[in-house]
Amino acid sequence: MTDSAAEARIDRTLVARAVLDGDRGAFEQLLRRHQGMVRAQLRRLLQGNDALADDLAQETFLTAWRKLDQFRGDARFSTWLYRIAYTCFIDAVRKSPALPCEPMETDLERLPAPPLQVDLRLDVERAMRKLSDAEQAVLLHCVQLGLSHDEAAYVLAMPLGTVKTHALRGKAKLRAWLAAWNGAGTEEQT
Amino acid sequence: MTQEVQDDDPVDALLREHFDGPVPDAGFSARVMQRVPCRRRKGWPASAAALVGLLAGAAGCFASLARWPALDLERWYATGGHWSGSAIALAGAMAGLTLLTWWWGIAEADDH
Repeated sequence: MTDSAAEARIDRTLVARAVLDGDRGAFEQLLRRHQGMVRAQLRRLLQGNDALADDLAQETFLTAWRKLDQFRGDARFSTWLYRIAYTCFIDAVRKSPALPCEPMETDLERLPAPPLQVDLRLDVERAMRKLSDAEQAVLLHCVQLGLSHDEAAYVLAMPLGTVKTHALRGKAKLRAWLAAWNGAGTEEQT
Repeated sequence: MTQEVQDDDPVDALLREHFDGPVPDAGFSARVMQRVPCRRRKGWPASAAALVGLLAGAAGCFASLARWPALDLERWYATGGHWSGSAIALAGAMAGLTLLTWWWGIAEADDH
């Protein structure tokens, strides 16, 4: 049995205990197992607004507790949580226009090539933020959170084809914008 | 579901490398658990209370509408159980509203 399958089995067991017995301890274990990645997901979506990200993470877990009996086990528990968290994020964006929004397409072309003396990390962050919201969300879930395209489509409520398109376009843009680092990165590794 | 990650893609590697990963707990779980309410068990007392409420409501409706001209229950008894068209329409509307309210109550209870 793979680690992933074993983890999923543990999650399902904990969910069953929480639902059938009202076991708060089982839910606390689920919370401790998944809070780190859910908070990382929301912090990334909110581009550094850590306080709001934690508020939304709290709302995510309270919603999960209320709706725990609706978890059928078709998806991984973590994927189910990511979906709730993303829905909380979308609701928060709708309520507050000051939260991250899609940049103008024209800005994408104006991104200057990153100077070598600037930290690569800052440039990766900057390049990510120049992507459209949808591309950022897809790359976050597919690459950084390690979800499959199917799982990302479920979390983001997007058609599978749209997810794949956003992933390809986002990577192509990043590849172009970060091309200057390619040689430097290779030199550092050698 | 399998993870569709291309390990040899430099952009993937770069993004994963610059992802901070899981956030340390630092008391977050304890704060959330303080706000998690106790789960209410839907047992027989709730069902019994719903049934009593339903019967009390039906009795109340009957008592208040028994002498209403549109229903005209005295004539209904006298004619051997034939209702007028308006009475049938009224009863249908009331039944529909009752079912709608019942469904809404169950949906709300599930959400909370």
